Amino acid sequence: MGIARKELAVYFTTPVAWVVLMVVAFFSAQFFAGALDGFRYLATRALQLPSSGVLDRMNLTDMVVARLFGSVALFLLITSPFLTMRLLAEERRSSTFELLLTTPLRPVEIVMGKYLAALAVLLASLAIVAAYPALLALVGRGAQGGSAVEWPTVATGLLGLFLLGGMALAVGLCFSAFTDAPVVAALLSLIVLLGLWVATLFTITADGPVRDLAEALSASEHLGSFLQGQIALKDVLYYLSFTALGLFLAERAVEGRRWA
Amino acid sequence: MIEVRGLTKRFRDRVAVEDLSFTVGRGEVVGLLGPNGAGKSTTMRILTGFLPASGGSARIAGFDVFEEPLEVKRRIGYLPESPPLYDAMTARAYLRFVCDLKALPRRRVTDEVARVAARVGIADVLERLLGNLSKGYRQRVGLAQALLGDPEVLVLDEPTVGLDPLQIREVRDLIRSFAGHHTVLLSTHILPEVAMTCEKVLVLSEGRLVDYDTLDGLIARHLPGRRVTLEDITFLEEIYGKLVAAPPAVPN
Repeated sequence: MGIARKELAVYFTTPVAWVVLMVVAFFSAQFFAGALDGFRYLATRALQLPSSGVLDRMNLTDMVVARLFGSVALFLLITSPFLTMRLLAEERRSSTFELLLTTPLRPVEIVMGKYLAALAVLLASLAIVAAYPALLALVGRGAQGGSAVEWPTVATGLLGLFLLGGMALAVGLCFSAFTDAPVVAALLSLIVLLGLWVATLFTITADGPVRDLAEALSASEHLGSFLQGQIALKDVLYYLSFTALGLFLAERAVEGRRWA
Repeated sequence: MIEVRGLTKRFRDRVAVEDLSFTVGRGEVVGLLGPNGAGKSTTMRILTGFLPASGGSARIAGFDVFEEPLEVKRRIGYLPESPPLYDAMTARAYLRFVCDLKALPRRRVTDEVARVAARVGIADVLERLLGNLSKGYRQRVGLAQALLGDPEVLVLDEPTVGLDPLQIREVRDLIRSFAGHHTVLLSTHILPEVAMTCEKVLVLSEGRLVDYDTLDGLIARHLPGRRVTLEDITFLEEIYGKLVAAPPAVPN
């Protein structure tokens, strides 16, 4: 996997990966602080209403961590096109594509090498995000004396974010394979990814089949169960099928050079 | 070693290579000569498996370039028209990366990079970023990349472009030293280069083969009775002028 190693080196010798990690770190810190503040506010109000039972039903995992993950998801979608845009488009534009295609590599190895490098940066982003629940667990205490966060729910949430990010990178890589201009690749993948994200709006405004379709296609709807601590097969399949489709089309585009 | 039969390449509205047939024997150094747009680069790109042919076939070491591309690519070192470099990498990292692409055994990589770097004279710039190298050095790193893994066949698209006269002589000597050991197909439009490095010359014009012979053969047929020495290059200009000006004829 020489390609994955080389792309990873490029990510961290150029500012790309650092900027993406910085954006994720900055905004997740904002969202975390915001969610925590909201939690504290609600908790103080709940204390003033004794025996309402509100306080018993509040917990850090659902009200802070899940909210944080839900906001981070959008930033993963926004940053991923910048990670993938140049992966294939830049090669296509310069003679290095000739190098890749004239060494004994199959197109699928080229595409997967690039994809793995981008996935590694995604994992680094998720490590930053995972630091917040870890911080809560470190300084907080559960109501019954246990951990302040429910780790299984945190884990499924992170899995959901990983699947979502993996899909976003595959879609971005696909557009990068079809154009010579990285900026075009980034724009097209942003449009598609944000389109999938906001498709959830139609579940509010529309009825009938349109609503069902919007719900099925929406990237944010499918994240919900993960944030609640469930792993639903249909949601896993949703992300995996978009990922597979993106990678498959990217591979076809690279292979297609042999048939042009 | 290289067998080309009826090779044709059409781009949308233009024929780049038409019904091209030739063979190159093991260890021969053949120069591909022709004006700009004659189809030299296209032919090389088809042979290396980068472009598909529209018709005809090409075999390298017995393997069809379209049917068994991986076998062919394992046996070819290719220097494209512009050297395929990543500006953000150092020369050493780049050469190691190409070793990886060519799937050379891990333990051979360090030695192989050192061997090739010494061969093309880039040992002293290995730690520099490729984007900061001069054109001559970039060209030589491109050549070094083609030599990695000691491939049987070398396809070099204008290997001396951008080099200064001294470097040109070094690269020429290098290519001459490949004779017998490597099969080399190199393109150029610098005539003395062909005279000094190649045993055989293949002349293309408008995508067609106009002549293919040894230097002696060309001289005997096109300038009968003329005694020439290799230092005197005007004879090649005369032959080249005749071939390119005349409409493509069926050779041999």
